[in-house]
Amino acid sequence: MTVPENVRVYCPVCQAKFKFTPNWKAGDIVICPICGQKLRLSLSKDEWVGERPEKGLEKEIRERTDEYARLKGYVFNDMKEELIQGLLAKNKRFGDFYCPCRMEHVPEFMCPCKPTRGGDVERNGKCYCGLYWKKA
Amino acid sequence: MANKPKVYALSTCPYCKRTRRFLDDHKIAYDCIEVDLLDDEKQDEVLDEIEKMTGKRAFPVVIVGKEIIVGHDEEKLKKVFKV
Repeated sequence: MTVPENVRVYCPVCQAKFKFTPNWKAGDIVICPICGQKLRLSLSKDEWVGERPEKGLEKEIRERTDEYARLKGYVFNDMKEELIQGLLAKNKRFGDFYCPCRMEHVPEFMCPCKPTRGGDVERNGKCYCGLYWKKA
Repeated sequence: MANKPKVYALSTCPYCKRTRRFLDDHKIAYDCIEVDLLDDEKQDEVLDEIEKMTGKRAFPVVIVGKEIIVGHDEEKLKKVFKV
């Protein structure tokens, strides 16, 4: 099957779409280049979507944060483990990996939050909660 | 101290935990409100109060008399509590 050039994949974490690579097929595991989430590809109603294979698991948030930092060239500091524990507590109490330092439990504050994806680390040297840091 | 210091915190925030640990380690008695665990009505009320005091929704907030400390700041805590 030939996939047209403008096909995109929807990521349920960052709620954005990224470019589909022609050799991908349903069931493949890919990394969202915007937020670092691991996704299993599926075709739903003529649209490619990514599903979260380890939704809600500790492995998911640890992999996502590491991937995002790798993609962006960001680094962590000694607060990382405490912030991961905060993210795990958010998931347990409020249903997903929302920023541990914010009150609002809305999709744009799922880690990495929208302001972070919008350039907060570049502007301020770190993200809101201090998980991701710009390399010195 | 006439009025016990008050801490507004989020249950998931590691900086709030560090502030509480600092106060505990220095045996400073305080009242703590975990804002994210309040019911909606009480939460709105407390958040309005915090925004009026600090101009933002950032945590932790420590109130000691007229002093307001926003964020985990050990130097400020040491100064205010004279420890």
